[in-house]
Amino acid sequence: MITHAPSTAATAAPSETDLTARKPLGMLLAAAFLWLLVSGGLSLVTAIQLHTPGFLADCAMFTHGRAQALQETVFIYGWAANAAFAVAVWILGRLSGAPLRGVGLMTVGTFFWNLAVLVGLVAIAVGELTGIPFLQMPAYVHPFLLVAGAAIATPGILAWTGRRITTMFAAQWYAVAALLLFVWSYSTAQVLLLASPVHGVAQAVVAAWFAETEVSLWLIPVALAAAYYLLPKISGRVIPNYDYAPHGFWTLIFFASFTGARSLVGAPVPAWIPTLAIVCSSLLLFHYFVLGLNLRAGLAGGRGNPILSFVSAGLLVYLLGGIVTAVFAFRGFAQIVQFTFFPVAQLKLMLAGAFSLPIFGAIYFLAPRVTGVAWPSTALIRAHFVLTVLGLTVTVVSLAIAGWVQGHGLLDPAKNFAAIAASTKPWLLAATAGEAIFLLGSVIAAFHFFRLQCAACRGLLCGSPATLEASAS
Amino acid sequence: MKNGTFLFLGIFAALAISWAGLALGTNAQIAGVRPYYDQLEDKTFPEPMAGIAKRGRVVYQNLGCASCHTQAVHRAGSGSDIERKWGTRQSVARDYIYQERVQLGQSRLGPDLTNVGNRVKTANEIYQLLYHGTAIKPAYRFLFVEHPHDVEPSSKVVARIGDREVVPSAQAEELAAYLLSLKTAYDYPEAKPFVSKAKEGAHP
Repeated sequence: MITHAPSTAATAAPSETDLTARKPLGMLLAAAFLWLLVSGGLSLVTAIQLHTPGFLADCAMFTHGRAQALQETVFIYGWAANAAFAVAVWILGRLSGAPLRGVGLMTVGTFFWNLAVLVGLVAIAVGELTGIPFLQMPAYVHPFLLVAGAAIATPGILAWTGRRITTMFAAQWYAVAALLLFVWSYSTAQVLLLASPVHGVAQAVVAAWFAETEVSLWLIPVALAAAYYLLPKISGRVIPNYDYAPHGFWTLIFFASFTGARSLVGAPVPAWIPTLAIVCSSLLLFHYFVLGLNLRAGLAGGRGNPILSFVSAGLLVYLLGGIVTAVFAFRGFAQIVQFTFFPVAQLKLMLAGAFSLPIFGAIYFLAPRVTGVAWPSTALIRAHFVLTVLGLTVTVVSLAIAGWVQGHGLLDPAKNFAAIAASTKPWLLAATAGEAIFLLGSVIAAFHFFRLQCAACRGLLCGSPATLEASAS
Repeated sequence: MKNGTFLFLGIFAALAISWAGLALGTNAQIAGVRPYYDQLEDKTFPEPMAGIAKRGRVVYQNLGCASCHTQAVHRAGSGSDIERKWGTRQSVARDYIYQERVQLGQSRLGPDLTNVGNRVKTANEIYQLLYHGTAIKPAYRFLFVEHPHDVEPSSKVVARIGDREVVPSAQAEELAAYLLSLKTAYDYPEAKPFVSKAKEGAHP
């Protein structure tokens, strides 16, 4: 049974990895928090447009389609990508037992990644979106993102290949898989959907495959890496039934990308594609089972530790999301919820919950170690946790109910769209409130992070060694 | 798990299998779908899109219309698409072979548009909808331009504001042409509902 030793870092000097990672990780996390705020603002706009369609409709850059494409892009390529790269590289560096190599490449990559995202967002706003989910930026932006992403991932891969500790931990499997699969799937999707698009409705199949790969094989594995790293590290307990962990890992890696086509039930594509997706969605239940078995100690709650609270909540959301996905992939349910707010709620659950919550926990753990300064306020971390979980719960539950109501309305041919809209409006208003609460939590987190960064900068300018006090961990 | 090479190859194999199965497999299956030749009509179906409608497809894509509208009619018994008169038959892969970027759509905040060209008869109906909107569809006034009505009298006026008239922009005209072109004009053999042989030969 192999796990990590309990953390003593709250009083220890920064490690070699932390020292070498300080600048690029600072850049990645600063960009991530800025994009998180933009994404939250755009989420609020799109949420309002769902119950008040005329909101900002006169502004060409804020048609619902463009606002949604902007929000999705900012969240995925702005917040999630920057944060996921930071956490994955840091974990791989820490577990390699050696200083990070290639950090200069990482710094340059971070700069160009965020510049490319900015260019892509401007292009979407002026009407150059592709209409492909998770690939909305125009074709000329993506090669830059691919190269920049590969550059950012390089120190992580170098840390893994040049590790001093030969044994590999579960956190490393997930982090390495995330970095490799991002580069492979992203480059493949660019070729098959933008550079040399596949024929007819095969585009819809590839788009569904890519969207699922982005979520389940790039972002989620980083969150799982964080969970496998942080839970034993903070609690000081070994991971129970660790021998099963590889089975859970390979189940995810082999079956997750097939499940994306569950959104194509009833679509004009070969019937075996959605059928395979439904089967694989059920097979993934084994992955969730193993994860629950391994990390059940964390599921019991944070026990007062804010970082553990974030990770536990994220794990619970992930397991819940997985079960909901498996159940609602079946044709009987899919026919009701397809094309409604329900899949929006599912995606929100996975991205804002299963991914973001453990990543927030990881950031609260790593930032003081990398900067050498303790978080200014534990109360702000707790406020962020409460607002994020509350906002997420209200949004997801409201959207799920709205989707269920909408789905039944769509099945009834006698019910027109005005009547369906009227029946979902109360739930959409509640979802808007949820988005506002989530945004407030993000504002607090960003403010707190930049306060920490300012304190670290002051420490460096004054030339005094920064003190790593007992932090949130 | 200690072997890094095993991990690397395993991850690569997993993605390669799903890529080969879903991306290459589907493409090979779909690439074989050709236009259907009807001997009686001496024409092939579907027909390629006209120039202005083709430009309108790009406007449709750039405005993000697919976030609220689908373009795929589901078969009878799977949803209420046929009962809602969004089409007389289910959509099939052959309907999309000339589409450079297939936009099946993500949600149905508005109706399916596969056959909107059959439901709407004139471009002016579309202009009115785009300019005025409805309770559930926003008005997209940025797609229209105003000019003094004595400068260039137009038959496409959607509204008058004082001595000025509001007419569709080039984008709105292209979008309307695209929407009017959306119609499934032919019942392909594979689009007919499946009837099992036992049922076909059974006594009434």
